[in-house]
Amino acid sequence: MPSDNGMILGGRPVARRFGAVNYRGLAQMYSREMMRGFKIWGITLAAPTVRALLFASVFGLAIDRPDVAMGGVPFLDFLLPGLVAVAALERSFQSSAFSIVYDKTEGIFPEMAMLPLTPGEIVFGYAAASVSASLIVGAVVWAALLPVGGAVPVAPLTLIFFVAIGSLMIALFSQITGLWARKWDYLESVQTFIFMPFVFLSGVFFSIDELSAAAQPFARANPVFYIVDGIRFAITGRADANPWVGAAVCIGVIIVLWIIVYRLFAVGYRMKS
Amino acid sequence: MTDMTRGRAGAGDAPRVRSFGYVNWRGVWTLYHREVKRFLKVFTQTIAAPVVTTLLFYTIFSVALENRVGTVGTVPFVVFLAPGLIMMTILQNSFANTSSSIMVSKVQGNIVDVLMPPISPLEMMCAYIAGGVTRGMIVATAATIVMFFLVDLPFQNPGAIAFFALSASVMLALLGMIGGIWADKFDHMAAITNFVIVPLSFLSGTFYSIERLPETWQFFARFNPFFYAIDGFRYGFIGQGDAGFWLGAAVMLGIDLVLFLVVHRMLVSGYKLKS
Repeated sequence: MPSDNGMILGGRPVARRFGAVNYRGLAQMYSREMMRGFKIWGITLAAPTVRALLFASVFGLAIDRPDVAMGGVPFLDFLLPGLVAVAALERSFQSSAFSIVYDKTEGIFPEMAMLPLTPGEIVFGYAAASVSASLIVGAVVWAALLPVGGAVPVAPLTLIFFVAIGSLMIALFSQITGLWARKWDYLESVQTFIFMPFVFLSGVFFSIDELSAAAQPFARANPVFYIVDGIRFAITGRADANPWVGAAVCIGVIIVLWIIVYRLFAVGYRMKS
Repeated sequence: MTDMTRGRAGAGDAPRVRSFGYVNWRGVWTLYHREVKRFLKVFTQTIAAPVVTTLLFYTIFSVALENRVGTVGTVPFVVFLAPGLIMMTILQNSFANTSSSIMVSKVQGNIVDVLMPPISPLEMMCAYIAGGVTRGMIVATAATIVMFFLVDLPFQNPGAIAFFALSASVMLALLGMIGGIWADKFDHMAAITNFVIVPLSFLSGTFYSIERLPETWQFFARFNPFFYAIDGFRYGFIGQGDAGFWLGAAVMLGIDLVLFLVVHRMLVSGYKLKS
């Protein structure tokens, strides 16, 4: 009798059978992605923490009038949740795309198309690893900022929810970038010219009320704004926009991106060459 | 017979060794040329990206802090900030150029192509440094032009601007060589960038006058060589600084000299390059 895990029991080897979802394959892929990211924890965990502390210090030192509120709260209370958001979103962007482009440069990426994983499972595997990594990095950065004035979130579950949907949104964008990128250069260009401006100008460092009236509609059209705003809402209890409208916008963007990524994996876009 | 001095075989002759004087100018020029072409080939990453990043930093700091910081010394915050951001990009790009060049050569194994040719360690250093300085200056010029449209920058002392831009660029090109020679993997390089270069440049007084620091921290801040680079460069623009021109200039020249000797020693001894 062949067992259903594909081992040889006295006879010929038999293909492993599984139901609608290849859970074991998915778990393998997830753990590979996680280990790949955190094996270089100096770059993926310590570096963003140091960077967040540096931003907190230079803003803290530069500011003359900390009492002038930003978005209704003291400036540093406003800034620190933004720094948590940046660290979490950056990790999410870097995990899937870097993993895919690394596999491409090593020439092993076509193997992803040969695995007994459906396109949906592949998208889910990458996304789950990105979201977990973001939650871990976000938690570490948040803890590191506690001694310099970080706040305990007023709504911890809301915080986890916003970090999760934000990093899921970015993770899907990251998969598209990774599939599109033929070389590291492409990836770095997307990071510098698209991802960073979207994140830095999303209201991480300033309330969008501080922007000129002409710039406001653009700021509100940036989906990252709703993520940062939601994360800040969960930590400080104050938001620029209605956070639940923001969550709805993000979930809409996630659905669209998911369909696109699914299609790309299903047709093997830039995968098999 | 120019053909002979150029080392080409004349009609019917056997090829000859090229002869040259004390300095192998052509060798230095060739290596410099390679260094410059290396970064110009990917100019979106090496020139456009740093300019965009500088612009982003300018935007976030000016929008976030303009109403929360009045003046620094006697100048508005944005005028204080702009020279510091330009210097930060000089520092990061000069460092990135030499370090990544050596690192990539080591990983790909073609570092021997730099070690084998008839150029002395001194000549090799000069070519690498000139490559790093060239990138630093191109990025700085581009960033300054962009800043010119955003901030009402005075150019009080162009000589000081040029001196600190060049000496800082040389300093970081040398540090980049040390980093590139020392690092065994890209991870090591990323660690140097993330845990040494970025913190030193952030905490150098780009965003605040170090007089704002508590006294003990001021003491440490004055040991940060990047502080003198940024302070002197800013002095060139706005005519005021924390350290003073001559002290800054002396520190920069002293550090450049020491680093130059260290790198020269590393190259002569073949540290981590010749195994």
